[in-house]
Amino acid sequence: MSTNPNRTGNSAAWLGAHVGLPALVVVGFLVGWHLAVRWSGSDLFPTPLEVFYGIVELARHGLLVKYIVASLFRVSWGFSCAVVVGIPLGLMLGWFRPAFLAINPMIQILRPISPIAWIPVAILWFGVKDSAPIFLIFLASVFPITVSAMAAVQNMQSVYIRAAQNFGLRGFRLFRRVIFPAALPQIITGVRIALGVAWLVVVAAEMIAVNSGLGYLIIDARNAGKRYDLVVAGMVLIGIIGLFLDLLVRRLEKFDEVRWGYGQQ
Amino acid sequence: MRLGKSIVGTAVLWLIAITVLHGALNLQWFKRKPAGSAREQQLGVGFIPVTCHLTCPVTDYINRNIEGHGFFQPLRFSGFAELKEMFLGRPEEMPATFILAPMAIALREQGVKIKIVHLGHRDGTAVVVHKDSNIFHTADLRGKTIAIPGRYANQKLILYRELKKVGLTFNDVTVLEMPPPDMPAALQTRSVDAITSGEPFMGQTELDGYGRVLFQAKDVWPGFISCVLAVHESAIQTRRAEIQRLVDGIASSGKWIDQSLTNRLDAAQFVAKNYYNQNPRLLSYVLSKPPDRVTYSRLQPLRPDFEEIERLAKEAGMLNGTAHFDDYVDDSFAPESEAIHVPSFQVKK
Repeated sequence: MSTNPNRTGNSAAWLGAHVGLPALVVVGFLVGWHLAVRWSGSDLFPTPLEVFYGIVELARHGLLVKYIVASLFRVSWGFSCAVVVGIPLGLMLGWFRPAFLAINPMIQILRPISPIAWIPVAILWFGVKDSAPIFLIFLASVFPITVSAMAAVQNMQSVYIRAAQNFGLRGFRLFRRVIFPAALPQIITGVRIALGVAWLVVVAAEMIAVNSGLGYLIIDARNAGKRYDLVVAGMVLIGIIGLFLDLLVRRLEKFDEVRWGYGQQ
Repeated sequence: MRLGKSIVGTAVLWLIAITVLHGALNLQWFKRKPAGSAREQQLGVGFIPVTCHLTCPVTDYINRNIEGHGFFQPLRFSGFAELKEMFLGRPEEMPATFILAPMAIALREQGVKIKIVHLGHRDGTAVVVHKDSNIFHTADLRGKTIAIPGRYANQKLILYRELKKVGLTFNDVTVLEMPPPDMPAALQTRSVDAITSGEPFMGQTELDGYGRVLFQAKDVWPGFISCVLAVHESAIQTRRAEIQRLVDGIASSGKWIDQSLTNRLDAAQFVAKNYYNQNPRLLSYVLSKPPDRVTYSRLQPLRPDFEEIERLAKEAGMLNGTAHFDDYVDDSFAPESEAIHVPSFQVKK
């Protein structure tokens, strides 16, 4: 009576679909990578095993945790500042058309400028402290957030607003009860994109003379002679952490408050 | 909005946690400050991890070990572009830097008030070809692709000078600008026919077995200068004593390095491990095979040397020729060779 065959079956199927299949692809990728290196006959590009040993070496020297923490610190602050600035700004621009008309062109001008292009400016303004890479990461991630929040409000079904107004909601209460919840799914999408961008930018951001971080690790390994195993180790670590960050943000989409507006999409 | 509050709360806690972790692991927030280091902002000095700048970390290391603390702050960069931006944009934080001589002169030409006060090194540059190539003499470079570090690199000058000797100009070769760390791979894969930059990147190609030296700077242009120590005039006026101490330290360290092969090899070890993050074997190789590949004596800035650089650079199109020795050099700091005190420093085994 306590045994449910479906439960066990579902559990096994779930594991197979969510862990087994991706693991198969990863193994295939690693094998393909190894064979490609061997086939090309290059002793410059490292094999997966060499990269693994590079990661072990970093861990043994105590640098692995230090660099991961440094990069996460910069991305956390840059991204958080972008969220705090970008969401309110985007909501305001979406709601007040004159503000949108005034400010949107400037946003569209600044948005496509690569963070790499901002490096000289970041050095001039902030020097070689953590604030320079944080600024670059903020700059890279504030635009996706602002634009998605703005679009979320502008694209909102007007029927929501009219219905709410019929019930007597005005001003801040209208915003808090209707506009913000309805915009939230699209804002979350923008935030998720922005987090990916923020993490993407960490290599460029750490080209400035900071002395820690995964992006710095990649730049530093290039200066170290023939240490492409460490270059690729940095890339692998960035990729894996990026995956975890994405899974983390995805969890936000599971909450009921976020799903409120999905019915219309 | 309970969910919103819990998300915000979690985010704030995360920011606090990651900040404390970063502060503890990377910024030494909770470590005991060594006695004597609690002073106003130390003189920031820029460098990149090459042998032309070796006296910067060597001076710092020797000083820290003799006196227990450094008297300046070495600031490491990955390339000259970032180093230049910091030097130009934040002179209070980094009033001095090791920098390419033609770049320093070009900045002066462009109105930046800086002075060269000392040399970083002499020699220490090579032109390297693939060991299996048919390039055995400079004249064989005709029609070939040659990688140089950048527009203001002295390697461009030495290339210009040596090509001229055999009747060639830049029109007869393809010159490619490439960051030095990328040159060994480009040579190994035959993407370029020849490479030239400071060490340890040329030595790396020899160690790895595919590079052959076409010529060394020391053999074709004895006393070759690539990098110099440049200082903002404002710092010369307001922090003169510190700069004098820095120059004296660099002159002393240079003489210490050149004093013996043991010192060179010791320097390779402690610099590679503590400052450059490079394989000590690589730095040991370029500092010892041969021992005079790069040298650190005779580092006074002398007029004939710079006037030759100026003349060649103008010919090669690197400089306008509007700044001259008295504009960009302050030779009052550099001690005479006999006046340099060599520290009695031994690396503990």
